[in-house]
Amino acid sequence: MNLVIALLASEDPNVTHHWLLPETGEIIYGGLASVIVVGALVKFAGPMIKKSFAARTERIQKELDDAANAKVKATSDASAIRSALGDIASERSRILADADAQAAAVLSEGRARIAKEVADLEAKADADLAAAQGRSNDELRAEISLLAAKATPIVIAKTLTDQTKNELVESFIANVGAAR
Amino acid sequence: MSSAKVEAYARALVEIAQAEGGLDRVEDELFRMARAFESNDQLRATLSDTTIPAERRQQVVEQLLGGKASATTIQLVTLIVAAGQVRDLPAIIDVVVREASQGKSQSLAEVRSAIALSDDQQKRLAAALTKATGKPVNLKVVIDPSVLGGLVATVGDDVIDDTVRTRLDQLKSLI
Repeated sequence: MNLVIALLASEDPNVTHHWLLPETGEIIYGGLASVIVVGALVKFAGPMIKKSFAARTERIQKELDDAANAKVKATSDASAIRSALGDIASERSRILADADAQAAAVLSEGRARIAKEVADLEAKADADLAAAQGRSNDELRAEISLLAAKATPIVIAKTLTDQTKNELVESFIANVGAAR
Repeated sequence: MSSAKVEAYARALVEIAQAEGGLDRVEDELFRMARAFESNDQLRATLSDTTIPAERRQQVVEQLLGGKASATTIQLVTLIVAAGQVRDLPAIIDVVVREASQGKSQSLAEVRSAIALSDDQQKRLAAALTKATGKPVNLKVVIDPSVLGGLVATVGDDVIDDTVRTRLDQLKSLI
């Protein structure tokens, strides 16, 4: 202490020993003060800074992980979308194939049904024609029979001469006389 | 008319004809008159029309049979007309003919023909029917154009039919 005081007393406080460097005491005091300050900073602010850096690192890492996950998910989604696109194309092809098959089946069934209906109609028309022809034939036959039945007595009456009638009488007499 | 009434009128006619003589001719003429009455609608309608006085109808009978039938026959028919029994004239006459035939021990043989038969044909036909039925027949021939040809003979319940009309009917039934 006395040394310090002596030094202080022996020196002019307004004059320095070097134009650039401070006085030794100032260096010592300043150094000590700096050490104290740095020590305090290391002791008290260090953990906080370290914690802050750790948190920041953790956040950055988390963001990096999130980005990686997002990338993985995006890749997965892209794959799924590509797969889905492939499935859609396959489904489209299958649907088109099914539609083609159904259309072909409907067309075939329709053709078969129409062919059957045409065949049925033709058969019915043939049957109707045959029935109508049969009816016409029957009616014609009946008409002819009726006309013949009406015309025959008239024709015979006009055809039979008295000589023929007389021969019929003689035939009757002969047959009756010979009957017993 | 009841059958008893018909029989009564018939017996009366037979007795009158017998009393007048010539029953055979009378019953033959009556038979022809009955068939004409049956086949002629106008004659039947005229003689049956009660709105025409009986005297007028008797005149019709006399005009119709005059010169063609004996006086006895004309008188008997006018008697029936006057009595208002014209509708039963065929039935009465049929009984007369039947009784006349029975009186001669004959069966009435009614023969329908499309043409008139000669006397010879009638004799041979009567002989043939007598032979066929086994008893003498009183032959009565009716001219019936509807038979067309041949003869149909009815003797009692027996019918011998060999007419063209019947053959045509049989042919028609086959068709």
